[in-house]
Amino acid sequence: MYQYTDFDRQFVRARAAQFRDQLERNLAGELSDDDFRPLRLQNGWYIQRHAPMTRIAIPYGELSSRQLRQLARVATEFDKGFLHFTTRTNAQFNWIPLPRAADAMDMLADADMHGIQTSGNCIRNITTDVFAGIAPDEVVDPRPYCEVIRQWSTLQPEFAFLPRKFKIAVSGAAEDRAAIAWHDIGLQLVKNDLGEVGFKVLVGGGMGRTPVIGSVATEYLPWNQILVYIEAIVRVYNRFGRRDNAFKARIKILVKAEGQKFFDEVEEEFRKILADDAGGHAHIIPQAEFDRVAAFFTRPAKVHPAIGGFDPHRTGAAPVPFLRWLDRNVHAHQVDGYRAVTLSLKRPGLPPGDVTSEQMKAAATMADRYSLGELRVSHDQNLVLPWVREADLRAVWHAAKDAGFATPNIGLLTDMISCPGGDLCALANARSIPIAAAITEQFDDLDALLDLGDIDLHMSGCMNSCGHHHTGHIGILGIDKDGAEWYQVSVGGSDGSTISGTSAPGKVIGPSFAAEEVPGVVQALIDTYREHRAANERFVDTARRIGVGPFRTAADLVRRETAVAA
Amino acid sequence: MKFIDRSTDPWLLLPDSEIAGPAPHRLLPLAQWEAVREHWPADVPVGVLLPNTADVETLAADLPRIALVALEFPKWVDGRAYSQAHVLRARLRYAGEVRATGDVVVDMMPLLQRCGVDAVVLREGQRQSSAERALGFFPMGHYQGDVLQPQPKFAREAA
Repeated sequence: MYQYTDFDRQFVRARAAQFRDQLERNLAGELSDDDFRPLRLQNGWYIQRHAPMTRIAIPYGELSSRQLRQLARVATEFDKGFLHFTTRTNAQFNWIPLPRAADAMDMLADADMHGIQTSGNCIRNITTDVFAGIAPDEVVDPRPYCEVIRQWSTLQPEFAFLPRKFKIAVSGAAEDRAAIAWHDIGLQLVKNDLGEVGFKVLVGGGMGRTPVIGSVATEYLPWNQILVYIEAIVRVYNRFGRRDNAFKARIKILVKAEGQKFFDEVEEEFRKILADDAGGHAHIIPQAEFDRVAAFFTRPAKVHPAIGGFDPHRTGAAPVPFLRWLDRNVHAHQVDGYRAVTLSLKRPGLPPGDVTSEQMKAAATMADRYSLGELRVSHDQNLVLPWVREADLRAVWHAAKDAGFATPNIGLLTDMISCPGGDLCALANARSIPIAAAITEQFDDLDALLDLGDIDLHMSGCMNSCGHHHTGHIGILGIDKDGAEWYQVSVGGSDGSTISGTSAPGKVIGPSFAAEEVPGVVQALIDTYREHRAANERFVDTARRIGVGPFRTAADLVRRETAVAA
Repeated sequence: MKFIDRSTDPWLLLPDSEIAGPAPHRLLPLAQWEAVREHWPADVPVGVLLPNTADVETLAADLPRIALVALEFPKWVDGRAYSQAHVLRARLRYAGEVRATGDVVVDMMPLLQRCGVDAVVLREGQRQSSAERALGFFPMGHYQGDVLQPQPKFAREAA
């Protein structure tokens, strides 16, 4: 994985010192709370219900055991001992008092971490495939490109105050595990007929109030021009994106409003940067720079392919729980004799994506022992060990069980995506943690879960869509009506993965439900699926085939408080 | 970065309604400049105040006659004028003064400077000493190129 250079380290220190200066001016009364707000946001600091929430960048989801230990240390010394992983593969603390913010940032900087551009109306943390560099279906390893784009976008001075937040995702595999069509810019690495690497560029995807799938800006852009092309897109957006209404300020609205004109403007801007601008041409990435960055992402020297295959029964009949775990939590790998292992952060007792300090330490130890010190944060809010030898799988399973990571539910209903919701987030209309807990409790029978097969359940506490409810096979959205919590339920959404089909927002099944009704509604949706499914048909396929009607009818029978509204 | 003192600044902004006669140190709103540009004597330096919605490239032919381009930040978090400054400097190679006006606050300084703004009128109540300090946090430079240093870090190191 990427290793910080002296420059990177000095840079993060400088950012921490700049933030300390801003914080001190705020605490001294020189910098008003209103003016401090955009500054702290661009360092990851929100003011939340109980305390500030801080979001730490985990660039393209890669995390070292050393960094995870440092997060555990910050959680213990500054927080209440918890960390939450997000769908954008960042990490969030919820209990650090603002006056201690600069000290926490310094401690994170000790492990090459920061909160730069994890919030605010700027270019956010770049995300990619959780299996980048190890996926069997990979065409091009996206991580070097992610790192080059990360560096370019970090404190880019012209684009720090865009109309709205701006998210970029990169995929280099046949399967899109990064939901690129749902991003402001989605980049798909491709090879042309000559085997040369380039990008298919999508622009204008996004969730929120108006879910939109990104449109193709170009089918093939030579890889070395990507920074210039992104600059052209973001400049057109900065100039013409709406600023009068926050709900219409994302680039998706501009792309929809202008249509072809938008893409013509981008092409013209791209041409001018290269033809006229001082420094324009200098941002074409030289091969030597790419090679320098790519060298950080070559296969670790300690990886030695093993032949002979893997037999879980080699030393006698393997226990069924181990086989289930192998089936759900262990994934194919590029290298013979290796697997990727998901540490499930979806289990009773803790909100989806949460870990305790002790669990962070345990995961760091597992990474050191079994995965060359490397971990990934997945878009689905789990941790992944990317370099596990097949010979170690049994030991990893035991370690995962001991630390509470072995729930064999990856891809199943209880492997749900959820934002922290109204318990912690000041933006949320409704709580998501109690709903997630109720669903986890209700569907605790593993045989039944396995029988239901792959189901993406995504839940957001508000329209900001941090829980990606639009892309859930079952989507749950918290909404506010007259100061009370309500939940809108949709079915049939897709993040663009093979299982889920072409990217599409789910369809709402009717008026929203009361909190108490939601677990029953989920049960009704599941029962409807069971009743209608064809052999080997997944929930999402049944939902697409039979449409919203039967789900709506079944869900309406659950209504109690909302019976009148229905 | 030049910090403009309102009390000694020679530039006089004329209201939209007033027709400007040619005189030194007149700062004209863009619409006014467009009305008088044909008759404005070549030897009288002029300043033009641009709304942040203006396409600066339409000003390209006039730039040699313009001594000052004033950009507007109606709210400091409205970042459109950064792109105007960048295009003025990097594309149109404008060499006169580029001034940030309006809701200009301390923490914009590094961004403004890197986009090519070389003078600022700070919002009332902003401390110049803090603004000067804000310019000094990144002595090691940045990753991407900007107006002051058009070469990105990778190109600087390769040279």
